[in-house]
Amino acid sequence: MMDEVRRVLITGAGVISPLGDTPAKLHEALCEGRSGFKPVEVFATNGLGPQTAGEVRPFEPKSYLGERNLRPVDRTAQLLLAAAQRALEDSGWTPELRKQREVGLVLGTNFCSVRTIAEFDRRGLQLGPSYVSPFDFANSVINAAAGQTAIWHDLRGVNSTLSAGEASGLMAIASAADLIRTGRADALLAGGVEELCFESFLGFHRGGKLTGGDPVPFDARRDGFALAEGAALLMLEDAESAAARGARVLGEILGSGSTFDAASDGASDGMAVARAIRLALEDAGTAPEEIGCLSASANGSVEADRQEARGIAAALGTRAADIPVTAVKSMLGEAVGASGAFQAVALLGTLNDGRLPGIRGLESTEEGFPLSGVSAQIRNLGETRLGLRLGLINAIGSGGHVCAVVLGRIGGGAA
Amino acid sequence: MDVSGRRSRRVVVTGIGLVTPIGAGRQVAWEGLLAGRSGFSPVSLFDTSRHSAHIGAEIRGFDPDPWVRRIDRSRIGRASKLGVAAARMALEDAGLDPDSLDTVEPERAGVAMGTTSGEPLEVEKFNDRYIAGELDQVGDEIVSVYPCSSIATQIARELGFAGVNVMIPTACAAGNYALAHAFDALRAGKADLMLAGGSDAFSRITYTGFARLGAIAPERCQPFDKNRKGMIPGEGAGVLVLEPLDRALERGATVYAELVGYGLSCDAHHMTAAHPQGDGAVRAMEQALKDAGLGPEDVGYVSAHGTGTPTNDKLEAFAIRRVFGASPRVPISSVKSMIGHTMGAASAIEAAVCSLAIHTGLVPPTMNMEEPDPDCDFDCVPNAAREHRVDVAMNNAYAFGGNNASVIFRRVE
Repeated sequence: MMDEVRRVLITGAGVISPLGDTPAKLHEALCEGRSGFKPVEVFATNGLGPQTAGEVRPFEPKSYLGERNLRPVDRTAQLLLAAAQRALEDSGWTPELRKQREVGLVLGTNFCSVRTIAEFDRRGLQLGPSYVSPFDFANSVINAAAGQTAIWHDLRGVNSTLSAGEASGLMAIASAADLIRTGRADALLAGGVEELCFESFLGFHRGGKLTGGDPVPFDARRDGFALAEGAALLMLEDAESAAARGARVLGEILGSGSTFDAASDGASDGMAVARAIRLALEDAGTAPEEIGCLSASANGSVEADRQEARGIAAALGTRAADIPVTAVKSMLGEAVGASGAFQAVALLGTLNDGRLPGIRGLESTEEGFPLSGVSAQIRNLGETRLGLRLGLINAIGSGGHVCAVVLGRIGGGAA
Repeated sequence: MDVSGRRSRRVVVTGIGLVTPIGAGRQVAWEGLLAGRSGFSPVSLFDTSRHSAHIGAEIRGFDPDPWVRRIDRSRIGRASKLGVAAARMALEDAGLDPDSLDTVEPERAGVAMGTTSGEPLEVEKFNDRYIAGELDQVGDEIVSVYPCSSIATQIARELGFAGVNVMIPTACAAGNYALAHAFDALRAGKADLMLAGGSDAFSRITYTGFARLGAIAPERCQPFDKNRKGMIPGEGAGVLVLEPLDRALERGATVYAELVGYGLSCDAHHMTAAHPQGDGAVRAMEQALKDAGLGPEDVGYVSAHGTGTPTNDKLEAFAIRRVFGASPRVPISSVKSMIGHTMGAASAIEAAVCSLAIHTGLVPPTMNMEEPDPDCDFDCVPNAAREHRVDVAMNNAYAFGGNNASVIFRRVE
């Protein structure tokens, strides 16, 4: 069993994003070029930093989760519970089916809830240690959201949390796919979650990472990213088990590559990105010429966007000159641990109907920018020479983590 | 690339780096565990006068700073420093030069680490300023130093490792999860060398939480004792060098043990309490044995999670009996009786214990055992280490969130 490589199909998706709470709504909003940025209400900015962010609003957890008691569950976990509910419904994993067979969860998150942790500590400091809440302590561990989701949705299989900065969500998807491929699991929810909160917002602001306006990935004028939040999960399933229960198939995870940029801050050259892409293509048994489009990690950061473009160019060779590239963080913002999962859900929409969202606000790139396939305009890739069978996703963390995944449309791919 | 060949690669432990409350370095820590040394003392890192508990297992008399040589010490947290120190020790122990990995390409050298809290001291510093009304003094530490992934990041930057890199924050089972991830990466041929383990720093946040749960023992940790009163929070780091057996043999490395399988499961029952029938723990143990192609009768030592809380130990004993039979004969001990609960580092340190038990033919004791608990009726190696040949060892870890992980090690002849 362990030595047999199995196919990993996507049989459902759930998303709670600043641009909608279904994969279809998210794809439509991205194709229309709408942005998810709004005045921050979920916490008080205290007048510090930018006043807008990619907030999920309105967010009514009960509309997804019913009347069960949500009090012991913090915002991070609520976002995840809602996305999981949607992904389970979408894939047809009913509660009855979950009683019979194990479903697991591999979650990517950078902060889980640093707000919960910080508030727990402040309460202990201000009121005294005996006044802290045991509920809050349970939620202070970084795997809390994954644990709460397992309890809520009865997920008794593998339950893992991965943390790799802005690459967390995509790395969770890649890791889950590997667990299914090698026979360690048959069905796993995989993706990411992050909540907007003052603690991380202030940190990014003080680090000079946030833009004052709207972020414009790859544009010569870019000056930072917009912070965002949300949750996105794919239901990944072994092909045989998906077929046995008559599951509808949305796509396929064909391969992945993970690397690390060991250069200290400022010394990166994008080659870790190139290596991750090459590993993903090799793992998927495909070549640059076969890749129909690319969803970039670019979020508007001055240096990171440049390195990513350089890495893509190095990995894709001549294909880099014309591959259609999008950067959905121009509209969604940087949702940190959730970002890669947002990109995966969005790219499924593109592979399904051929429409690749434009990069909102993109006017001009820097001199020597190596990718000609960036555009502010939506493109219909179903009509290109190549057609559209495979898409590539990049996720790059500011700490050096890089992950690339090859996503396939069903009917295409490596088979 | 011969994928099928690589997938069947055998993975062995060739280096061990430990930073524990009873000493740093493989040799010192192992001798301390065999001698039954205690790492418990009054908490010195913060004021516990308003807490219901005052004892902890802090790292004392060890400064990780000199181990951090290439990266900026002033921009990394305590758990990262402990992790970097343990990682350097592990490489040196494996006979590899941490500053020039000439036998492995940097792109094929990776890091998988586990943690419970990442760098919680950064949240504490943030809050001290928040409460003092000094938010203008706050920098970007919450996004640059605090996130748990910085532990794996800093180890890789310090050593120039450019391969697989991941942080697995699955709380008190995190070390085992990291070992499992590294095992898979090596088996799949994604890396030729992995540093895998866990690290956590002593923090008032963790301490306050366990104190509020009433889980901290007043003086000492007594796993499986009838009168056990709780766990003792600790800190530490454990890192193992994992590599394919053929490469280890090629370079003439000492092989402590082979990692032969693992099992992961989730209780899906309660955030902080184990399943009443130990269901998740049983599934993790059974999956691990199946993965290793072994049965319970093959196991010669079990490193228990054994926190010393009344409930954990009782439920763990129940789960062990479900797997090993009503009267298990296998020695089962908990080093938390000496070093406390080092959180995300615990199962990594205990993985080193399993490897060393196999390698040395000695098993460490469960200290502070005075009155056996009929609910935990098995051989817990009370109060003294023992000579005992171990061919197969099982390492169990359970965590908040209902995460369970068992990892199996075997002797390499």
